[in-house]
Amino acid sequence: MVNLLFFGRLGDFAADVPASIEASTPAQIRELLAADFPALGAELHEPQVLVSVNQMIVSWNQKLAEGSEVAFLPPVTGG
Amino acid sequence: MNSLRIQAEDFDLAAEYQSLRQLSSAVGAVVTFTGLVRDFEGQGSIDSLSLQHYPGMTEKLLQEIVDQANSRWNLLGTCVIHRVGKLLPCDQIVFVGVASQHRADAFEAAQFMMDYLKTQATFWKKVDQDGQQHWVESKDSDQAASQRWANDD
Repeated sequence: MVNLLFFGRLGDFAADVPASIEASTPAQIRELLAADFPALGAELHEPQVLVSVNQMIVSWNQKLAEGSEVAFLPPVTGG
Repeated sequence: MNSLRIQAEDFDLAAEYQSLRQLSSAVGAVVTFTGLVRDFEGQGSIDSLSLQHYPGMTEKLLQEIVDQANSRWNLLGTCVIHRVGKLLPCDQIVFVGVASQHRADAFEAAQFMMDYLKTQATFWKKVDQDGQQHWVESKDSDQAASQRWANDD
């Protein structure tokens, strides 16, 4: 299992998403979520959305270790 | 000295300036930038702003920005403060201060740090407008401002 975090506008679409999921890559998580939560799936497919694993930005095909923290990050708007 | 703080509470510009000024007698320039909450977003005025961030990752990304600034310019000290939580129009939201021997280093490093902070640090703004909340969209102009530093390499 890996733990999921959704930030910014993505959080509004992920209110009913489980806190953890069984998956081998972020891309697979995205597909699993898109099946159950189509609106969230569409958001996650936006090209500007980044994914991090254990607080490092990674590619969508990064292999996930058990217990990883996977976060989905829309474009940032701080400052 | 490189100071980095993410906090809900306000900050004291004069105190931060004095900290940078007093770092050493070699300090010949201090540049500070303070960002404030505007009273409008898009087409309308705002009632308040909420700032979310990714604890842990935000600190790491800000530290990388500070490290890059120190490797690109000759700096004697930096300070980055970013507030989170609920803020009101005219509130202070972000501070970047840089101390160096000569002004060019401090000017450029401060601008670099703000431009990178805007496009890389994991903060997200939500505005409250007429009882409705919505997330702020990122701006192409911020991406362009950040990109020009990459082009300098």
